[in-house]
Amino acid sequence: MEYSEEERAIIGLCMTADESRLSVLARAFSELFDPLSGEKICVSMIEKAAKRVYKDEVLPSEAERNAAIAGLESHKMFAVTLVSADYPAGLRAISDPPPVLYGMGNRALLRRRKFCIVGSRILPAWAEQTGRTIASDLSRRFTIVTGIAEGGDRAAIDGALAGGNLICVLPNGLDIAYPAAHTSLQREVAKRGLLLSEYAPGVKTKKYAFHARNRILAGLSEGVLILAAGARSGTLITAHCALEYGRELFALPHNVGAAQGEGCNEMIKAGAWLCTCAGDIFAAYGMETEAPPRIPLSEKEERLLAALKEAGELHAAVLAERTGIPVFEAQATLASLEMKGLAVRAGGNRFSAI
Amino acid sequence: MIAKVTCYALQGLEGVPVEVETDVCKGIPAYEMVGLPDTAVKESKERVRSALKNSGLLFPMNKITVNFAPADIKKEGAAFDLAVAVSLLKASEQLVGVDLTETVFLGELALGGELRPIAGLLPILISAKGHGYTRFVIPAGNAREAAFLGGAQIYPAHSLSEVLAHLRGEMPIPPLATVTFVPHLQGKNSADLKYVKGQPVARRALEIAVAGGHNVLLVGPPGTGKTMLARCLPTIMPDLTFEEALEITKIHSVAGVLGEEGIVSERPFRTPHHTATVVSMCGGGNRAVHPGEISLAHGGVLFLDELPEYHRSALEAMRQPLEDGKITVSRAGGTVTFPARFMLCASMNPCPCGNYGSADKICTCSPAEIRRYRRKISGPLLDRIDLQVEVDNVSYDDLSSLEMSEDSQSVKARVDGARRIQNERYAGSGIHTNAEMGERELTNWCRLSAEGDDILRAAFERMQLSARARSRIIKVARTIADLAGSETIEPVHVFEAVSYRIYDKLA
Repeated sequence: MEYSEEERAIIGLCMTADESRLSVLARAFSELFDPLSGEKICVSMIEKAAKRVYKDEVLPSEAERNAAIAGLESHKMFAVTLVSADYPAGLRAISDPPPVLYGMGNRALLRRRKFCIVGSRILPAWAEQTGRTIASDLSRRFTIVTGIAEGGDRAAIDGALAGGNLICVLPNGLDIAYPAAHTSLQREVAKRGLLLSEYAPGVKTKKYAFHARNRILAGLSEGVLILAAGARSGTLITAHCALEYGRELFALPHNVGAAQGEGCNEMIKAGAWLCTCAGDIFAAYGMETEAPPRIPLSEKEERLLAALKEAGELHAAVLAERTGIPVFEAQATLASLEMKGLAVRAGGNRFSAI
Repeated sequence: MIAKVTCYALQGLEGVPVEVETDVCKGIPAYEMVGLPDTAVKESKERVRSALKNSGLLFPMNKITVNFAPADIKKEGAAFDLAVAVSLLKASEQLVGVDLTETVFLGELALGGELRPIAGLLPILISAKGHGYTRFVIPAGNAREAAFLGGAQIYPAHSLSEVLAHLRGEMPIPPLATVTFVPHLQGKNSADLKYVKGQPVARRALEIAVAGGHNVLLVGPPGTGKTMLARCLPTIMPDLTFEEALEITKIHSVAGVLGEEGIVSERPFRTPHHTATVVSMCGGGNRAVHPGEISLAHGGVLFLDELPEYHRSALEAMRQPLEDGKITVSRAGGTVTFPARFMLCASMNPCPCGNYGSADKICTCSPAEIRRYRRKISGPLLDRIDLQVEVDNVSYDDLSSLEMSEDSQSVKARVDGARRIQNERYAGSGIHTNAEMGERELTNWCRLSAEGDDILRAAFERMQLSARARSRIIKVARTIADLAGSETIEPVHVFEAVSYRIYDKLA
C-alpha cells in the first residue's frame, strides 16, 4: 500500500502514540481540518500539532513510525486517514472523527453509499428474520454497516454477507476477535466485505470502545435502522449519534409491552421512520422500490398464513385447531412456510408470520 | 472319600459349570478351600458349618479340602454354599446311595440352614440347560424367575433339610410347574398418554420415535412435563416377546434388580441420575463385571433428564453402544459383552435459566451462555438423536378441542401397525426398524421424489441444517410415511421430518 507523506505522518504518529496521548492527538488532528478554510494540510502542520501534544518530550522517531506502518502490511491491513481521498465524507463531518481508520478487506466499499443496521443482542425471532431480509434487500443498493455481535448485528451480517456489500466496525484491533467465537465470522467478513476499526492492530477491547465504535457506525452511514432495543440498550447510543449527526433514523415497530422493543417504539414516537421492509427505507431516500415476487402457496399454506397473520404469534397446536388442520400436517405446512421465508419459529413451538 | 457336585458361576450373562470337589480324610481337623474362591466364597466355610449344625447334621471333625474346578476362573458370591454343603455331606457319608451327578445345586445358606435367593439365577439356568443339565435344586425365593424356564425339573427348596429329605427320597419336593409368559404381568406402569394434557407436538414426536425406533430429545422449560411424557414411552412400545423378556430378565437377574414377579414383563424404563459415572452407565466393577444402565435399559427406554448435566465422559461412552446395540466391557476379571439395544430419550432446558422461547417468561441468559450450555452435548451424540422437539407450556385454555387426550392404547395400535410394515420390509436383513437403516437400505427404501429432494435442499439452505442431518431426516420421513401407511415418501412427510430438527438450527 502506497501512502502519501501526510498520510504516513498521521498513521505513524497515531500508531506510536500511547492511549492517553492518542485521544488528544485525534482532537488536534481533527481541528486541523476546518471545512470552511479549505486549506491544504501539509506534513509540517501535522508535526506541529503533534509537538503541541507531546509538549517538551520528543516525538517518536522516524524509524519507529516506519516500523509501525510496515506492521500494518504484515497484517494485510490498510489505513485510511483524514487526509486520504476515500476517507468517508460523512464520518469526517462528525465532531470527533477518528484520524485513522484501519481496514481489512474490500477498500472500495468505503466509497459506496452506506446504511447502518443494528439491534440488541437478544431479539425476537421475527425481528431477526426481518432484519436479515431487509439487510439482504438493502445491500443491493447500499453497503450495510454494522458491528459484530450476536442478535441484531448478526442478522445484518447474515443478510448482507453473501453479496459482500458489508462493513463491520470493531471496537478493537482487527487482528483480535472478541468474543473469540467470532474469529471465523470475522475472517469471512474480511474476505467478502470489509472490517474497519479506529484501533491499531493489537489493541484489546475496552468497555468504552463499544460506545466510541457506535459513533463510527452512525457517522459512516446515511441512515440507521434499529431492529430491536430495550429501554436502556446500548443500541440507543448509535441512534442518538445518528440524530446528532443529522442522519435518518428508522426503527422496527414492536409489540406494546415487549421489553426488547421498548426503545424502538419510543424512537418511533419521537419521530423516527417506522420501517417494516427495505422498501420503506428506499422510499425515504426517494428510490424506487420493486414489488416483491409473489411466492405460490398451496391452499393449506394460505389458510395457515392467514391465521398466523391474524394472530401475530401462535402456537402450532392452536394454529392447527383454528384452521382445522391436524397438528402433524400443520407442522409440515409450517416448515414449508418457514422455508419460503414467510413464517419463523419463535421458540416453544410458536410461530409468527413475517 | 471324595464327592463331586455341580454348581454354576456367572461370567457376564453366561453361566460356567463349576465342579465342587470335597475330600474328607483322616488327619488333624482342618477346612481348606482351593480353586480361586473370592472372600464371599471362602466365608461359606462358616455358613456351611453353622447351617449343618443347625439342621441337625454332623460337621465332620476331619481334614476337609474343598476344590473348585476349573481352577482358572474366579469364583465369587454366595451361590456355591448349597453345593459345598451337599458335597460335604456326601463326602462325610451322611448322604449314602444318592446320585448327584446330573443335578445342579444353587443357593446361599443362612446360618440356620435356610436357603437364600441368589442373583443371576435365570441366566445360569438357561446356560446350564444349554449344557445338557435338566435337574436343578434352587432356593424357593428364586422360584418365580425359574418357573419361566420350560423343559427342566426344577426343585425349589426352603432349607438344607428339605434338600436332604428330597435327595434321600424321604419327602420329595414337587418340581416347579412351567409358567407361560404374559406381557404386562403386573401392569405397574401407571403412566398413560391420556393423562398428558396438551403437548400435541411432543406426543406426535414420541409416536414417531417409537414407531421407527428413533432416539428423541425433548427441549423445554422446567415443569412442562418432559419427564411425564418420557414415562409414557414404554406404554406405547410394542409388547415384549418371550425371547426379549428372557434376555432382559437375564440382565436384570445378573444385576440383582429383578422384581417380585420373577420376569421382566414390561419394557424397562431406566432413569440414571446425572451424577452417573461411565462404569454405572456402561457396566463394569472391581471384580466381576456388572451390567450398566444402558444394558438394564435393553429393550426399553433410557431416559436422561437434564442431558447437559451428565458427565461428558459418561455420555460419550454411550455413542458406540448406541450404534452397535451392545457393549463390551473389559476388566481384570474378564471381558464381557452385554446387550444394550435401547431407545434413548433425553430432556434438557433450552437455556441455563430455562425460559428461552417461553411465551410469558423472559430469558435472562446471554447468547454466549446459551451456546456454552448447548455445546455441552457433543455433535456426534446429537447426531444419533433423530428427533428433537420442543415441549412447551401452551396454556390449556387454548386447546379446547383437545381436551380428550388420546390414550396410550390407541397410539400403540398405530405404532404396532408401523412396526409391522417395517418388519415385512426388513425381513431377513438383520435390522428391524427405520432408525437402524444403513446407507444401502436408505437407497433401497427411501428414494425421494424430485420434489422431496428439492425440499431437502431448500431446508438445508434456509434453515441452516447441518449436513449430517440429511439421512436422519430421511429416516424420520420414512417412519412418518409408514405411520401414514404410505408406500412412498411424500413431500409432506419430508416437511414434517424437517420440523423435528430444531436443535440443528439452534446450535
